[in-house]
Amino acid sequence: MRATLAPLLLGLALAAVSHPAVAGRLAGGAGSRPLALDRLTELAANHLALAGIGFLIVAGLGIALGIAATRPGFARLRGGIDALAAFAQSLPPVVVVALALPVLGFGGPPTLLALLAYGLMPTLRGTVGALDAVSPEARAAAEAIGLTRRQILTKVEIPLAAPGLIETLRTALILSISVAAVGALAGASTLGTPIVAGLQNQNLSGLLQGTAATAALAFLGDALLLAVGGFLTRD
Amino acid sequence: MTSAPFGVRAVLLPLAAALALPLVLGSLPLLHLAPNRLVTGAPIPVAAALGPWLWPLLALAATGPALVASGRGRAGAWFGLLACTGGFALLLTGLGAGAAELLVGQPPAARARLAAGAWLAGLGLCAGIFLGMRASRLPAAGWLSALVLLTLIGGLGAAGTLDAFSLTVEFRARRDGLARAILEHLALSSGALIIAGLVTAALGLWRRGRGAIDLFVGGVQVVPAVALLGGLVAVASAGLALMPALRAYGVSALGAGPALVGMAAYLLLPLWRGLQGALRTPDPATLDAARALGLTPRQTLASLRLPLGAGLLIGGLRVAAVQALGLATLAPLVGAGGLGRLVFDGMAQFAPDLILLGALPVIALSLAAESALSAVEAAARRRWPS
Repeated sequence: MRATLAPLLLGLALAAVSHPAVAGRLAGGAGSRPLALDRLTELAANHLALAGIGFLIVAGLGIALGIAATRPGFARLRGGIDALAAFAQSLPPVVVVALALPVLGFGGPPTLLALLAYGLMPTLRGTVGALDAVSPEARAAAEAIGLTRRQILTKVEIPLAAPGLIETLRTALILSISVAAVGALAGASTLGTPIVAGLQNQNLSGLLQGTAATAALAFLGDALLLAVGGFLTRD
Repeated sequence: MTSAPFGVRAVLLPLAAALALPLVLGSLPLLHLAPNRLVTGAPIPVAAALGPWLWPLLALAATGPALVASGRGRAGAWFGLLACTGGFALLLTGLGAGAAELLVGQPPAARARLAAGAWLAGLGLCAGIFLGMRASRLPAAGWLSALVLLTLIGGLGAAGTLDAFSLTVEFRARRDGLARAILEHLALSSGALIIAGLVTAALGLWRRGRGAIDLFVGGVQVVPAVALLGGLVAVASAGLALMPALRAYGVSALGAGPALVGMAAYLLLPLWRGLQGALRTPDPATLDAARALGLTPRQTLASLRLPLGAGLLIGGLRVAAVQALGLATLAPLVGAGGLGRLVFDGMAQFAPDLILLGALPVIALSLAAESALSAVEAAARRRWPS
């Protein structure tokens, strides 16, 4: 549980920095117009909703496809998956958001598409890597005692691969929160909005609030998944 | 399932490959005709967009991918490759002719824009060319297909076939700006890469602090890029407000400075992991042997640890380079230049072709960096197998 403490404390500290009273004092000055607390919570709720939906899609699809790709019948797809993952990672989220803009319009949809394009392949590859790390002896032993394929998956492979799967989910969650912030450029109303607006009209405290709140969400989400992982993989 | 003669591999995959592109061509719009560069415009039906080129294109777009997917040896892959290449050329020629015809009698501001169907079909044919080259075991399939595609596009462009596309018009208008943006993009990415490399090398010398460095470089990754860049600007502005004298030394809260620092901070993780992995590669017995031979730590590093870990080190560099090229797209957010400037201008004006003009080079540069450095990585692993 000690590993969760650092991101948890950092997240709470950053959340405190994003409070209008604190941010107004830190970034005091002529152009300082801190966002009111209810506006900030509204943006944070939007951010969480967008990142949460994206995370569920990416994690669900990525892990399901990763499990499918490690089944014996699909072994020959591995090379293709790696090439596709490398290709998808070379598309920066901003570029996907920008390209989807004329087709999908402003707001959430281009952001979700960017998240899917950028986050799916790392999740898939992480799942494949975690399942590959399960020792063949464990699999052979499970087969020898007469478990069915489904039982081997749910009772042997997934529990043994759990640490790697949690790592994969952490990456997916951080990507989701990060891409939701980029979505502000496409007009999605997230915590990236005060950052972009603050850079454009020199509103330092708004900029600081958006920055601190986005980072706080990322650290708190990371702490949550680390705690879940620690709970699941305890002996 | 894979061994059955009429299993997935033998029938379903080629069938799906044969149907995919004709379906895309038939169901999605290929061109949009817009009254000016800022609106999406009206979709043009496929028959009007392609005219007489439709049926030959459909035939090639069905046979090429099917032959490549069927996996019937090198000859099949060759024919599939040829059909895909022909299909790509036909697609461009047909759409170019169709677009030119659409613009006849229109006001000069009117634009013919490539639509979703054209992009998807083009991507599918490119994938067919690449996979066909791999299946017919041509060397360096990635570079060779890039060469073929660039030659095709360049040749058709020089012949004026592509002149009617809105993207070409936008390219003509911004040719100088585009060249400068590409250079700025490369300068920003390589600058951040060099800074991150130097910092990583310096951190590598600090033995005691390894745990703290691990925490720090991992923690930076958690902060979203938009937030990190914004935060750097906020911190730099606050610092300048406290010490206005710094302005005299050229320190500024906006511009290339914060962009480089922010990008470099993200690149630390892949480089640091690569370095740590590389240093840990030789097993303890080898290191003992080196010590017994009387090698100094410096000699051990130069002749043992770095060569044996070269693959991991270059792997880290590859990930960092691709990330740098992507992150540089965000740099205009804090007032630095690069290809992102075109993307952001396009988003602000809602001009799709301007977005594409900035985005396509970013994608091309990332893919080039990825494949070049993975080739170097593979060569290093062959040269010094660990």
